[in-house]
Amino acid sequence: MKKSVAVMIVFALVALSVLSFSKVASAEEIKMVGVITKIDIAGKDAKTATATLKDNKTEKLVEITINDDLTLDKFKDHRIVVGDEIRCKYEVIDGKNVSKLFRKTAGC
Amino acid sequence: MKLTVTISSALLAVLCAAGVWGAEHPGKSEIEKNGYKGPATCEECHPGTTKGFIDSVHWKHASKVDNVSNLDPKKEYGMKNRIYTMCNGNDIVNNLKEIPKNAEGKSKFTGCNTCHPGNHVSDVGSTGPEAENAIDCLVCHSTDYDFRQRKPFKNEKGQVVMGQDRSTKAALAIAKPTVKNCMVCHEAAGGGVLVKRGFSFTKETDAHAAKGMVCVDCHKAKNHKIPTGFDPNNWANDGVRVACTDCHGEKPHKGLSAAYNNHTSKIACQTCHIPRTGGAVAKDFTVWEKGGDGFYEPTTLKQEANATAPVYAWYNKTVRNEQHFIGPNGSRKDGKSKIYPFKIYMGKAFYDKKTGNLLSMDFAPPMSNGNARAGVESAARTLGMKNPADIAKNAVPGWQTIYFGSNHLVTKSKALNCINCHGVNGVINFKDLGYSDKEIKKLTNPEIYFNQLIEKQKEDW
Ligand code: HEC
Ligand code: HEC
Ligand code: HEC
Ligand code: HEC
Ligand code: HEC
Ligand code: HEC
Ligand code: HEC
Ligand code: HEC
Repeated sequence: MKKSVAVMIVFALVALSVLSFSKVASAEEIKMVGVITKIDIAGKDAKTATATLKDNKTEKLVEITINDDLTLDKFKDHRIVVGDEIRCKYEVIDGKNVSKLFRKTAGC
Repeated sequence: MKLTVTISSALLAVLCAAGVWGAEHPGKSEIEKNGYKGPATCEECHPGTTKGFIDSVHWKHASKVDNVSNLDPKKEYGMKNRIYTMCNGNDIVNNLKEIPKNAEGKSKFTGCNTCHPGNHVSDVGSTGPEAENAIDCLVCHSTDYDFRQRKPFKNEKGQVVMGQDRSTKAALAIAKPTVKNCMVCHEAAGGGVLVKRGFSFTKETDAHAAKGMVCVDCHKAKNHKIPTGFDPNNWANDGVRVACTDCHGEKPHKGLSAAYNNHTSKIACQTCHIPRTGGAVAKDFTVWEKGGDGFYEPTTLKQEANATAPVYAWYNKTVRNEQHFIGPNGSRKDGKSKIYPFKIYMGKAFYDKKTGNLLSMDFAPPMSNGNARAGVESAARTLGMKNPADIAKNAVPGWQTIYFGSNHLVTKSKALNCINCHGVNGVINFKDLGYSDKEIKKLTNPEIYFNQLIEKQKEDW
């Protein structure tokens, strides 16, 4: 009995720490540079959009959710289009990669 | 004080009027009927506009400059021909072109004059009917511009053309320029989004944007002469200027805050109201970094808007312009200077071994293969210098310091208050600014701000 309670507590503690750990990890900003392969935006009044980036380092496709007005506007008038290289910072919120920064890399 | 209030309410009234109007340009039905045929369509009802535009900095990328040292007062200067280290080239050596293929066999179009409202066949500073017909009026005046059209391409004659959206659809959405219209070019000046100045103009970053103001509420233009200020590093001007005091006067603070009015003869509005700067702090044009797309870019230390602290210096609106320094002239004693905030930027590039002069660079070679000296050689050849290959081989890397004016990112709530400057370890270095030890002792003693801040504390609680 006693032992199993102790085990339970340890288990609970581990579970807790894992939980809180994953919480910290998900709030962390992830940075990537990649080329846009797809943009999905629903019309002129859309308040959200998704863009798929091909990570330059890993070549993996990453789907990013974009909610900020300035970037949405750039999708709408095509200042940002498929093929543009993007410097992106995102956070994982409820399983979605939510953009915190989404900028063309193009230089001088 | 009354005057200020009247002016701002009048301005807001104008703003509202413009907003209501914005949706319906009186020329709309005419354009709907006949379609948009370029500037000629606009000329029917706005005669003389194209001629006026062709004579502006936005078309010429240059003007005569009378407040900068070491220039020829008879010549024109600007992005067209200057050589400095924020972008180590100019419209001439970095004329829009297709760069040589990189190692992956890819090429792309690049050039400084992509930020010009012409079609490149009629380029920076061109004149005559063809030039007038090439102006992209809609890039500044349409709220429905399709930016897929604004891309460089090669025409059937092999000329590099800068595309434009000339659709009737875009011309049916004519309005005064919005922030977005101006930001098409201004946001990415200096080599990428927010690179030059961290110039973000949103309700989070600028008190005027938060009040719904747009660029042209301050930069009001007649005949397309757009007023500017005295940024030590933005020389070309249309001969008209805008200043904070145009709208607010010299004594905008009321009540308890009136103490700030005593400072405005020595301290520029920007010093207190723009406490942070942003954008790149340093670049190295002698070493280019390879990006994921296989092209190279100059190595750049970037910063966000409001990420860096400014440097404060006396400025009398004349500029010291040397090979290793571009920045403000001024002193405490000259009777004309005020303390201004600046962003200090340092750029590394190649200098001519013989003359010690800063050299410029054609970005096409380094962009495709990272070879910066090949860029120096190509630029020297374009500029007709003798022995370009030798110049490039012997060129010496060196740093240039540039002071950028800080005129946006205005805040009220985070403005510097008494203790930010007069407190111990304040942001102002009184000694560097020419104050004596005795004066400093007084200027950093609580005697100077104690009563003021106690009153403020009472008011706030
Ligand atoms: C059929 C006549 C007509 C045509 C064609 C026309 N406009 Fe206008 N436009 C007007 C009138 C009338 C006004 C309001 C009075 C004024 O400001 O001149 C106006 C106002 C404007 C304003 C706003 C001025 C302000 O201060 O608010 C802009 C900007 C403008 N036009 C741009 C253009 C552009 C660009 C074109 C070409 C695409 C064009 N117009 C074509 C008749 C026309
Ligand atoms: C097509 C690109 C483009 C657009 C659009 C544009 N600018 Fe500019 N602007 C430039 C360039 C390039 C320069 C620098 C030219 C130079 O100094 O040689 C400049 C310079 C300026 C200057 C300083 C020189 C001067 O003319 O006084 C001001 C102020 C300015 N722009 C304001 C604006 C405003 C306000 C808008 C929106 C109505 C705007 N710009 C739209 C490209 C653009
Ligand atoms: C994305 C648009 C854009 C591109 C591309 C661009 N510029 Fe500019 N440049 C601007 C704007 C806008 C200004 C004026 C406003 C400012 O300084 O913030 C400016 C100002 C300048 C100035 C100061 C001009 C003066 O009047 O003193 C120089 C020099 C300059 N640019 C050089 C370059 C060079 C060299 C390149 C290419 C390698 C380049 N720029 C490419 C937008 C651009
Ligand atoms: C670089 C941006 C830019 C371009 C390109 C541009 N304009 Fe403008 N235009 C402005 C600004 C800024 C104003 C002044 C707005 C204000 O003061 O409220 C203006 C004002 C106007 C006005 C109002 C009356 C006046 O002259 O001040 C008309 C009409 C106009 N523009 C037509 C045109 C036409 C036609 C073209 C193409 C030939 C053109 N614009 C190209 C920026 C631009
Ligand atoms: C509240 C008024 C105001 C608004 C809004 C405003 N500006 Fe300015 N701007 C100024 C003043 C004032 C100066 C010059 C101050 C000085 O040098 O003393 C200036 C300077 C400039 C310059 C010269 C370079 C520099 O940074 O000093 C450019 C370019 C410019 N503004 C572009 C813009 C653009 C583009 C927008 C909109 C995104 C804008 N401004 C919005 C007031 C304003
Ligand atoms: C074209 C006129 C104009 C120019 C130029 C101008 N302003 Fe303003 N400013 C306004 C107006 C209008 C308001 C809003 C007044 C209101 O709604 O209470 C304002 C508001 C402000 C506020 C208060 C913001 C707040 O949150 O309450 C500050 C601080 C300010 N301006 C500082 C400056 C500084 C510093 C400059 C120069 C860089 C400047 N202004 C240039 C017109 C101007
Ligand atoms: C020595 C610092 C200092 C200087 C210089 C200064 N201000 Fe201020 N200003 C402040 C502070 C701090 C506040 C906020 C005061 C408060 O919260 O009561 C303020 C408030 C304001 C406001 C808002 C007033 C209101 O009633 O809401 C405006 C507008 C303004 N300043 C404009 C300017 C202009 C224009 C200049 C240049 C002529 C200027 N200021 C120079 C520190 C300064
Ligand atoms: C941007 C920094 C800054 C801020 C903010 C500031 N001051 Fe000052 N103050 C100065 C400077 C610099 C001087 C010296 C000006 C000169 O050379 O005349 C000065 C001078 C003074 C003087 C005159 C000292 C003498 O020579 O007798 C007084 C009093 C003073 N400040 C009080 C205040 C009070 C009270 C506040 C807040 C309401 C304040 N200051 C905010 C920078 C600042």
